[in-house]
Amino acid sequence: MSTNDPQQQMIRDAMQAIAQRKPGKTKLVYNKTKRTIEAVAEGTQIPRALNITADDADMFAVVTLASAWLREQWPHVLREGGVLCAFSTWDDGDALTQRELGSLPSTTIVQGSILLAGRDFASEGIGFRVLLNPIAKVGTDPAEFVAPDGSAYRATAFRILDESEMPISTVFADVQPELATRRSGILETTILADKSVLFIGLGTGGAHAALELAKCGVGRFALVDRDRLSVGNVVRHPGGISQVGRYKVNVVRDLIHEKNPDAKVSTHPFDLSYANKEELKHLVTEADLVICGTDNRASKLLVNQLCIEANVPAVYGGAFRRAYGGRVLRVRPKTSPCYQCIVSAMPEEESNVEVSSASDAADIAYSDQPVAVEPGLSLDVLPIANMVAKLALSELLIGKPTTLRVLDRDYDAPWYLWLNRPETGTPYADWPPLSESTDEMTINRWYGIYFDRDSDCPTCGDFISSLAANYGLDLNDLDALPAALPSAPEAVPTKD
Amino acid sequence: MWTDEQRQRIVLEHQVLQQEGFTQFTVYHDKASDTYYASGWAVSAAGYRYALHISIPSGFPYERPPMYITDPLPLLMRDGNKLSALGVSHYMHTLAPSPNGMVQICHWRDNRWHSGILLYKVFLKGLLWIEAYEQHVATGRNLSEFVGTMAETA
Repeated sequence: MSTNDPQQQMIRDAMQAIAQRKPGKTKLVYNKTKRTIEAVAEGTQIPRALNITADDADMFAVVTLASAWLREQWPHVLREGGVLCAFSTWDDGDALTQRELGSLPSTTIVQGSILLAGRDFASEGIGFRVLLNPIAKVGTDPAEFVAPDGSAYRATAFRILDESEMPISTVFADVQPELATRRSGILETTILADKSVLFIGLGTGGAHAALELAKCGVGRFALVDRDRLSVGNVVRHPGGISQVGRYKVNVVRDLIHEKNPDAKVSTHPFDLSYANKEELKHLVTEADLVICGTDNRASKLLVNQLCIEANVPAVYGGAFRRAYGGRVLRVRPKTSPCYQCIVSAMPEEESNVEVSSASDAADIAYSDQPVAVEPGLSLDVLPIANMVAKLALSELLIGKPTTLRVLDRDYDAPWYLWLNRPETGTPYADWPPLSESTDEMTINRWYGIYFDRDSDCPTCGDFISSLAANYGLDLNDLDALPAALPSAPEAVPTKD
Repeated sequence: MWTDEQRQRIVLEHQVLQQEGFTQFTVYHDKASDTYYASGWAVSAAGYRYALHISIPSGFPYERPPMYITDPLPLLMRDGNKLSALGVSHYMHTLAPSPNGMVQICHWRDNRWHSGILLYKVFLKGLLWIEAYEQHVATGRNLSEFVGTMAETA
């Protein structure tokens, strides 16, 4: 069948009009007598025919092009008459998305060409082509494209099937402006584009919080986690089964780019320990805010120490065992209680951690007494991650003119507690349900709890002076330590 | 390597040890390697002597200092086997031994340690561990039957 056949041309026009939800000169109907689709002039009445609507037209494929990419390629397009590009195909070809648009392409890639109308461009064997027709004036048609030189075009795409061409709807996506438009009105996105957040620990909670901040428009991320995504992680982690085996930092980096393609993300798949202290210290000093989502005290204390030293605020989130609840701590160095202050004040509370992986269990197990892996449900971890992200957002907006300044009032407590069930054997077992009490603390409410900073804290306070004073010692008049004994055992390691 | 605050803290730890009555233990400075350790002889209620050695790590006090029994070496269980062979043991309250088989006492685990804990409390736990060890030798029962879960607060 020739593409110049009048009926084919009418079908093409009608399909495009329907796909773009615009009235056209022709319409498509299903002719029940002929049992075929045909194009007829608008207003024509066909007996035993079913009008095809815009909703029906959603079955037609859509090709999405990246405006920014095409603008970059424009000199090449003008010189050569066109450009080749790769497309992800989704859902049996229902959607074709330019590969450059995101970082997680489809497993099926097809080659296409974008060419200027009236120019020759070799594209044999190409599965479809996008024709750019010059237009005099730009409207609101998503198929319109404005080149860097100001010239405007409307794209029509065709899938090439043997000798025929099947029209495909075309949409140009200008990613950053479109994402910013969706955020504007509630967030001043330019403020967050320059903000840098260091995420330490990218399990379910950390990864979720990172994605939420990416959606808010945070522009720079540094990701630290030593673990790879396992099959067992997938039921909770934003990373999917096809990502198993990859470092979590790389999985989350790609997910961030799916939400905020312009975000600058550095990845650091190393262990969080004193052996890597200097590298971690550098990352902390580069950050506007640190979010710590690790599940063990030693790593949190290390992060706390580095953040206090570098005067960088931090947010610590964690679930209780089996995620029956959780807590979030925001630390403003030297101003609010630090993680060490909280550990000193509530050592048992801060020892109650979720054991969500074999490595977490190994960290606290003995060889003769293993610790069971008891992860909570994703839906019980995500509220904690949301609170972490909200506190982080509030912190990143400090000192900025924003409509969200009201958060300062609502999130002024340093420590937040939330229980999602009255877990047996915990101090919260007798807490009433939300519906039964307005005066007592209940399940399913967040509580902001105030603590005073420990002025004698070993990390953020003046522990040394306080200790010396308690023992009547003068820090300026302390005896020197004795020299090492000649018989000191050399085989003892300086670190375990 | 060491900050002024760390050095001051370590010197203070020595003074606190002396004031708290742990005069059998001393904090030493090895100037050649610029490292610190604390050690001394503990004598059990039954009169047996044990050398306790705390290596002070570069991250101290934020990093947990490991404590070893350096003498007797090897330290034996009631059945004559080396205690260090158990490795990390809940029942005997031990952590990973040194490469040459010195038993590491589980005083605070990493997930319980914090920088507010003073060295004299670490030595105190060492002394308690030794008493429990001698009970094990006498009865054959596990150390965990004589010392409960270590107290959290410093």
